[in-house]
Amino acid sequence: MESVALNLAVAFVKILVILGIVLGVGAYLTWVERKVAAHIQRRPGPMVVGWHGLLQPLADGLKLITKEDLFPRYGNRFLYNLAIVLALVPATLVFAVIPFGPEFEVFGYKIKPILTDVNVALLLVFGLGSLAVYAVALAGWASNSKYPLIGSMRKAGIIISYEVAITFAVMGPIILAGTLSTYQIVVNQIEQKLWYVWIQPVAFVVYMFSLLAETGRVPFDIQEAEAELVTGFTVEYGGMKFGIFPLVEWYIEVLSLSAIAVVLFFGGWSPLNIPFLGFVDPLFFLGPLSPFVWFLLKVTALFLFILWLHWTLPRYRIDQITEMAWKIMLPLALANIVFTAVIAPLIWK
Amino acid sequence: MVRLLIFTFFSLWAIVSAIGVITFTNPIYVILWLLSALIAIAGIFFTAGAELVGALQLLIYAVAIAVFYVFVLTAVPWEKAVKKSSHYRTEGVLSFPLILLLYLEIAVVFLLGVTASPEGQLRGLIEKFGNTEVVGSILFSKYFFAFEVVSLVLLIGMIGAVLIGRKENQTYEDDTR
Repeated sequence: MESVALNLAVAFVKILVILGIVLGVGAYLTWVERKVAAHIQRRPGPMVVGWHGLLQPLADGLKLITKEDLFPRYGNRFLYNLAIVLALVPATLVFAVIPFGPEFEVFGYKIKPILTDVNVALLLVFGLGSLAVYAVALAGWASNSKYPLIGSMRKAGIIISYEVAITFAVMGPIILAGTLSTYQIVVNQIEQKLWYVWIQPVAFVVYMFSLLAETGRVPFDIQEAEAELVTGFTVEYGGMKFGIFPLVEWYIEVLSLSAIAVVLFFGGWSPLNIPFLGFVDPLFFLGPLSPFVWFLLKVTALFLFILWLHWTLPRYRIDQITEMAWKIMLPLALANIVFTAVIAPLIWK
Repeated sequence: MVRLLIFTFFSLWAIVSAIGVITFTNPIYVILWLLSALIAIAGIFFTAGAELVGALQLLIYAVAIAVFYVFVLTAVPWEKAVKKSSHYRTEGVLSFPLILLLYLEIAVVFLLGVTASPEGQLRGLIEKFGNTEVVGSILFSKYFFAFEVVSLVLLIGMIGAVLIGRKENQTYEDDTR
């Protein structure tokens, strides 16, 4: 009985820590994004509220919360609000299966920095990730307005196409690791002394394309193409209800999928890798903290890379997006699975 | 004890959602009830220790299949969706004998399955190798033929869909070129 209570307590603390980190960091990434975008375009970005605009997210949040709650007259209020819940909950649930670092000991009690180390973690990630499509479709339909409907249909089409591509892309690393558990995948990479990106570059590229498409980042942000659709499925939302959607799509989902990419392709919390030889850790002086720092560094680098793409590229047309998914990405991912199946025994030995 | 409680919770959730599916008239709500029922069933699978089936239930039924209903329904005009009267009263009454027949079949299959299933043989395997591996090895050894036939059926369905969905170049003038 005592161990059940202890387990529950540990799980509760983990949930609080993860939620705090995810939502807090998610809000502050708006500031990061605005700064990065500004510097890419050679302007200073937010500078007024706080030092270099550091308090800007708080000011934004205050403004969004105090705004009038507008609602389209012939819309469906219940579904309109339900869409927000359906957007936020699955996106945050994904963090339950992300391993932040190796197992460590506190007061003689072993703790894995992952909420639930289930056997089928990756399937859950993609199941939960694609539940987001309901939020988009419902938001578009419940608003009872033309632009949101068109935007949500586009987005739903994109998610359905790329969900297939991303699932096949991650098959490569799964075959190499021989497990679906995210924690075990990282452990296996460390044991095999190999970041899977070295022999799965194709899978990584397909994964990145799908990541951008699923989260609605440029060049795939056709569902909110400002020039044609205003902001797509969020047109009829105001205040914080509007704020939730970009927060979930652009930050929380990008974070979770980047973390999964780091787990699958960059060896999770392991330091720099020389293929088949071992790991080099320039951050050795941090001691037991170094794995966590490495994980954070990798996720940050990936996030900044996505921001860089976002603020440099123009967007694709909707037909180009779906064509690419079915005619290029899916065949590439399938060819990669065949290639992986051939070389996998060499890695396993 | 805890397991029984969780199982009861998910079962009640699934039953309530199933009732919701057949009592609500607005098609969007019906789809949401269906989604809720599918998630509850995934929960039952997780409680039973069948993580792989549970995750696949989420991934394939709750997302891949139910989402297509949403996709179609978002194209349904608003006025039609909120209309109260149903068109399918007579069909509903007529389908009643068929439903009874199907229930009978489920009962027969269940009774046959209980006597036929190898009791406790798989448990040891699952504890030794884990869920996914056992399903994979059984699927690709004992049930390999059935598995391949099913995938052939799916392939035929896909070819049919592509055939229906392809562009008919002959039927209309193509001015876009």
